[in-house]
Amino acid sequence: MAPIVQVTNLDKYFGHLHVLKDISVDVQPREVVCLIGRSGSGKSTLLRCINFLEDPSHGSIEVDGLKVESSGKGKEHRQLIHDLRLRTGMVFQEFNLFPHMTVLENVIEGPVIVKGMNRKQAIELAEENLESVGMSFKKDEYPLRLSGGQKQRVAIARALTMQPRVMLFDEPTSALDPELIGEVLNVMKKVAKDGMTMLVVTHEMGFAREVADRVIVMSEGQLIEDSKPDDLFKSPKDPRTKALIDRYRTGEQ
Amino acid sequence: MNFLKKDTNENKSQAELLYAAQQKKKFVFRRNVLLAWMGLLVFLIFLFSGIEIKSSDNVTGISAWHYETVTENNIDVRKRVEQVLVAIPGGLPNEGVSLKTISVDSEFIQANIDFVAEGIVETIKISALSIILAILLALLAALGRLSTNPVIYALSTFYVSIIRGTPLYLQIFFFFLALPQLNIVLTGLWAGVLALGLNYGAYMSETFRAGISSVSKGQREAATALGMTSAQTMRRIVLPQALRFAIPPMGNDFISMTKDSALVSATGFVHEIMWRATRVGRAEFRNMEALVMAAIFYWIMTLILTSIQSRVETRLAKGDR
Repeated sequence: MAPIVQVTNLDKYFGHLHVLKDISVDVQPREVVCLIGRSGSGKSTLLRCINFLEDPSHGSIEVDGLKVESSGKGKEHRQLIHDLRLRTGMVFQEFNLFPHMTVLENVIEGPVIVKGMNRKQAIELAEENLESVGMSFKKDEYPLRLSGGQKQRVAIARALTMQPRVMLFDEPTSALDPELIGEVLNVMKKVAKDGMTMLVVTHEMGFAREVADRVIVMSEGQLIEDSKPDDLFKSPKDPRTKALIDRYRTGEQ
Repeated sequence: MNFLKKDTNENKSQAELLYAAQQKKKFVFRRNVLLAWMGLLVFLIFLFSGIEIKSSDNVTGISAWHYETVTENNIDVRKRVEQVLVAIPGGLPNEGVSLKTISVDSEFIQANIDFVAEGIVETIKISALSIILAILLALLAALGRLSTNPVIYALSTFYVSIIRGTPLYLQIFFFFLALPQLNIVLTGLWAGVLALGLNYGAYMSETFRAGISSVSKGQREAATALGMTSAQTMRRIVLPQALRFAIPPMGNDFISMTKDSALVSATGFVHEIMWRATRVGRAEFRNMEALVMAAIFYWIMTLILTSIQSRVETRLAKGDR
């Protein structure tokens, strides 16, 4: 099967800082890939390069047959990036719900404004997705009245309502109180079960182990390990992976 | 009954009792402030009442005087007429003690109050037109300040610098008196609106810029990730949040503008409150009465606008959105 996401020879510099070093990754359709690594290892930057929230310095990104080169310029390039973003949905650590809109308005904003979908259709779709994340009972509330976990579930529904081919999760549970993490992870599991291709930057080793098809370990801007979660957690090949996993183990106790 | 009351009190939690006590304290404070305000107002009225406290012929009392128009030798003459209001028998021990408060010519006020009041409409008109222009300019200038295009950035800062570096009074005269040399003749009203709008636009741009900057980067990123263009992000996500942030300071600016609109009277062709007050005041050398009238009108307008503003602010705070 052809990969749905293809990252090829990606480099990213922040000034002189080389944060991503010649990275190539393929993701198959319906695959759930977790990216783990210490903070500063470049995992979030890699994720943000995939929808061009960060401009890669070199290399190319291909999502669902649409290839965007980092070297592109001008109007055509911008259109390509726009199309690429329509193929990806993103969930942020800080939720980033629009505070001046109700839950429902948040969710239909993308389809109506960006895709030009008619409002009624968008509301139907939005209600369906809110239902599936268990948030339809709060659809007329403003984000301020929601807990962190609820906000993140709405954010997931918002991304899903754009009907992306791939979902990108950037540390979706890191800003949550411990007791709220479960509800968000459960929703993510459900999304994975429904067959969505997912790239997840996370510190939740339990989730990676249970849900991921593959776990990619990053260190200092490079991929140091890429294997099935069982293999990785039981017998890490790289000593840095072992150190990382041990650190989480002690953290969990 | 007393027993019951005590019982319900005991049923309340300590936090509720503390809260009630705090509320009561606040209420008492506010009531006392209100009373003090009324006291000050009464004193102010007394100050301008023309009441005289004097002691002569062993009679101490309060007398008032006012002007009356009397006909003498077929000419209307205004005369001061005194009237003893209250007399205190026995009087004060020392002779010649006399206290007199400022007296205003009530007849003059009665004759001219309608004329001055008609200026309120004009004042509101100038202020409203100017604030609309100011908001548009402030928005453009704020966006310019945040632009990465050096020319647009320069344009915005240049405009703000010129306007903030020169007096408003000069700007009004520039549009009214200097532009005709270039064959651009503006009516007093439009010269005033243009000057006030440009001036307040420059100052308000800073408020808008702060409002736009207050919207977090995450908001823009979320919109971008949804596929919004930068224009859509600005219009749908950033500006609505920025405006909400900017509404309270904008209210303040609008209030100062209604007062600064008085400067437009200097053109001599805009018949707003100040122009009318100085006109009648100078004509009959009753400047104090005229200006006091104008001051009262401005004050009342400001009080109304302030109360509207604080209401809007509480609503914004309540909505939390």
